[in-house]
Amino acid sequence: MTESTVILVLVVVTALGFDFTNGFHDTANAMATSIATKALRPKVAVALSGILNLIGAFLSVEVALTVSNAVVKIQNSDGTPKESLTADGGEALLLIILAGLIGGIIWNLFTWLLGLPSSSSHALFGGLIGATIAGLGWAGVNWNGDGSKLDGVVGKVLLPAVLSPVIAGAVAAVGTWLIYKFTIGVAQRFTDNGFRWGQIGSASLVSLAHGTNDAQKTMGIITLALIAAGDWTDTKNIPFWVKASCALAIALGTYLGGWRIIRTLGKGLVEIAPPQGLAAESSSAAVILASSHLGFALSTTHVATGSILGSGVGKPGAQVRWRVAGRMVAAWMITLPSAAVVGALMWWVSDVIGGLTGAIVIFVLLLAAAGAMYLRSRQTPIDHNNVNDEWDASSAEDTREPAKTGV
Amino acid sequence: MSNLGFALEGAWKVLAAGLVLGAGLPALFALGIRSLAWGAGGEAEDSHARPNQFGTVLGYVLFAIVILGVLLGITFIVASGFGKTISFDHIFPTIVDK
Repeated sequence: MTESTVILVLVVVTALGFDFTNGFHDTANAMATSIATKALRPKVAVALSGILNLIGAFLSVEVALTVSNAVVKIQNSDGTPKESLTADGGEALLLIILAGLIGGIIWNLFTWLLGLPSSSSHALFGGLIGATIAGLGWAGVNWNGDGSKLDGVVGKVLLPAVLSPVIAGAVAAVGTWLIYKFTIGVAQRFTDNGFRWGQIGSASLVSLAHGTNDAQKTMGIITLALIAAGDWTDTKNIPFWVKASCALAIALGTYLGGWRIIRTLGKGLVEIAPPQGLAAESSSAAVILASSHLGFALSTTHVATGSILGSGVGKPGAQVRWRVAGRMVAAWMITLPSAAVVGALMWWVSDVIGGLTGAIVIFVLLLAAAGAMYLRSRQTPIDHNNVNDEWDASSAEDTREPAKTGV
Repeated sequence: MSNLGFALEGAWKVLAAGLVLGAGLPALFALGIRSLAWGAGGEAEDSHARPNQFGTVLGYVLFAIVILGVLLGITFIVASGFGKTISFDHIFPTIVDK
């Protein structure tokens, strides 16, 4: 085995690891409301979401090979890697991807530890941007596109991040308001039962859409790495094992359930009743599908959070915990730069050490960081048993969490 | 046109589609539940009115419309996975190449 083959294996394993964190980080987007309103038992909800993510991932036949082009210039427009990066068996490109993925995973795990629903796409893009700046300089980043379409870091990442939660929130607020208006005079037990069914349906749609959207990104990244290393040449198709392993990784991650994040989204922001859950998930599903129809890139997480907030705003007399929302928005704003810093650091470390050893060292650093955060999470475990506990009873403990450290 | 222009142009379309499908369909669903309650009468309504068959029928009609909307969504997800999209050029949704 040559040196670059070993690095390629590390990239594939890390990419699947990222896909896995992408899964459990985003379970909440689809299922937090159904779990909070007890429309589904927690374990059933994550199983359903996992299966739908698996199906969704297999449905994405279209190749997402150019996914990185939106933010960094490491590929040509047909999806092949830049020639300048593929000398030495593609080691230069593989290192950028590896460092970027590690940046994304570490940030995903850190926000999960804090129970904050940050965007996995932002973490991935941030990591790649950081590693690219470190490896190729500022000019390696596609900041603004060429002005012919919505493109670049600004067009594909920053603007949608500002707009999408607002849109989703407005839609959910209108939906919630209409639902409550239309069901005045109907007994609550009768409405709640009906709305639970609607909620399960709309949440399932969100899960399916998530599988098709998010698993593709990792598939594209792994295929890019394979092409860089010379193990694959077809830019129109991806190897079947890549698709199958990415689909499984995201589904397993989803099934594991990011209970900390589910708790924040389902219980922390708003006390959700079934009608609000239906409005929130319908808004998320509609906004996600309409956006991908119009080629308007966005983060499922931002949409889901905006929708849940909106469902709190739209219900007369509902309580919205704006402090929790504020913490989330803060996390969104720092996700991209923080993942970028980690990605850049990783690239430098591996570059200083050099070659295969450098790649192995940053991989070990990733394992160490992941292990440490997992152990830390065991001190205040949140799982399917206590995910629905009253929010305020635990809030005293919650504020003691060092929310702003390590950033 | 700048990125901001493109983004705002996309945003209002997403908002419009979102309001019709993401708020409109749940609102229809709510009307469906209301009709069912009207159909069931008694315990289902705060007024304890007598059951009315017409409400039940209307309720299921409304649910059918909502389900059609959801099917449209699923078709879109599946179609875009295969590199196709749904066109509304002929009013009726048709699957076309992207």
